[in-house]
Amino acid sequence: MKQLFTPFENVSKNTRLFIVLGWVVLLLGFWFVSSMGERHLFPSPQQVWQGFLELYNEGLVVHIGSSLLLCFSAIGIAIVISLVFSYLSTVPIIKPVAKTLSKLRYLPLTGITFYLAILISDARTMQVWVLVVFMSTYLTTSLLSMLNAIPQEEFDHARSLGCSRWEVLWEVVVKGRIDYVIDVIRQNLAIVWMMLVTVESILVAAGGLGFLIKNSDKFMNHGRIIALQIVILGVGLFIDFVLNYLRKAFFRYSKI
Amino acid sequence: MTYNMQNTLLYVEDLSVAYGDKVIIKDINLVEKDVIREGHITGQVIAVVGRSGRGKSTLFKALTGLVKPTSGKVLIANTQTGLDNDAKEVQEGDIGFVDQKYTLFRNKTVYETMLFALRRKEMTKAEKHTQIMQYLRDWGLENEKDQYPCELSGGQRQRTAVIEQIFCSGHYMVLDEPFSGLDVGNIEDVKKAFDLITASHEFNTIIYSTHDIELAVELADSIYVIGYPTIEGKRMDYGTIVKHFDMKELELAWKDYGLDHIEVVKQIKQVMLSS
Repeated sequence: MKQLFTPFENVSKNTRLFIVLGWVVLLLGFWFVSSMGERHLFPSPQQVWQGFLELYNEGLVVHIGSSLLLCFSAIGIAIVISLVFSYLSTVPIIKPVAKTLSKLRYLPLTGITFYLAILISDARTMQVWVLVVFMSTYLTTSLLSMLNAIPQEEFDHARSLGCSRWEVLWEVVVKGRIDYVIDVIRQNLAIVWMMLVTVESILVAAGGLGFLIKNSDKFMNHGRIIALQIVILGVGLFIDFVLNYLRKAFFRYSKI
Repeated sequence: MTYNMQNTLLYVEDLSVAYGDKVIIKDINLVEKDVIREGHITGQVIAVVGRSGRGKSTLFKALTGLVKPTSGKVLIANTQTGLDNDAKEVQEGDIGFVDQKYTLFRNKTVYETMLFALRRKEMTKAEKHTQIMQYLRDWGLENEKDQYPCELSGGQRQRTAVIEQIFCSGHYMVLDEPFSGLDVGNIEDVKKAFDLITASHEFNTIIYSTHDIELAVELADSIYVIGYPTIEGKRMDYGTIVKHFDMKELELAWKDYGLDHIEVVKQIKQVMLSS
């Protein structure tokens, strides 16, 4: 028992499972206790379950699909833009452009949506491009860090094998770091997922989880809001798991 | 043991490398010729020793064309023309380079690594396969052919890195501290690798650095000590060759390690400590 409270102590797999289960029980217990009585901050589990059922009957699955489609469209375009700039940042003339793109992550959302609203009339396209602009800056930042972390020895190794500079880029950076790119997407997906709900709640026309939250918020339906938060968290964690699984399954050498 | 020297294989003249204002190595001059011994195929084994920070790795990068010299030149024998003493300036890829970490492509299996190293050879796919499998058998890597670098032991990685460079470069190979961090078994593997390389072609030349002076004396037929020179009583802060031990001239090359070798070890250590 003492080892559970000792720093740097290794515990068995079963003990780890026991610890996690303990925390889950504690959390659920706290939820039940704190949601009893007349006045409470969080809705009771029954209210949340009720909210979930209502959402399901109102087409929750379709809204999840809509959000996922938006998410994948945006991340698809953003990753292409970021990869092009990041890979080409090895060329001196492109490097400042890539670095600037990375620095643009400090720009506020409102300013960007204002200009995008002028340029784009369709709500869905607008949602996609707001996310693309944001994601490209974060993805480029992560990809540039990945590039900088490649040891010089790997470049020298490729050069010693007679690779031209473009071959070095292709072999060491592009082919040699595909698993890292997947991990960068996985890590940044949390930001897209978080942004996605905000973007959907700004432009409600196309539906999605953000629209549902906004709708529930308007009527102060706490049960629905928490049910939606749990769904959003669950879908996000599932995507994270799938990407991590794909990286490990397709790239046996990947030990990130 | 009788021997004679023929074509110049490596010619380094007034080589200097500086990074910005910092001069790392300066005025390096060396000449290595093809050693001929009757009844033996004898490649050249050249050791470079010196204390840390004296510029060994920079010298190796300049020798392999990975770093452009600030001044001076590195010439190697142009074996393609078939003419005696035909030389060319070294370019990236002319000299194989195996670094201390035995760096390989992390996303290629041992077999894919070999195939990539042979990509420019004018051979059919079947010929390439036969050559790769032959080397993998000879070097004890047959069972590891589908393994990635992260799944190999230090010794296996090292052998893979050496074969890859043999396939890709011509007759020259530079190894930066190949014995560093290896256990006795792996050190024996590297020694065997040296034997395999030098016994396969007259022109094959291995240049390696080591902190293990005994291993340098045991294996090399030419040893260069790199250190800070003392000029007019003042010690400089750049590396250069401060002493050359020609083990052939000393009649210690290609012989079992003995008392005379130990004497050379002592001398080398003395030179290293004073530079």
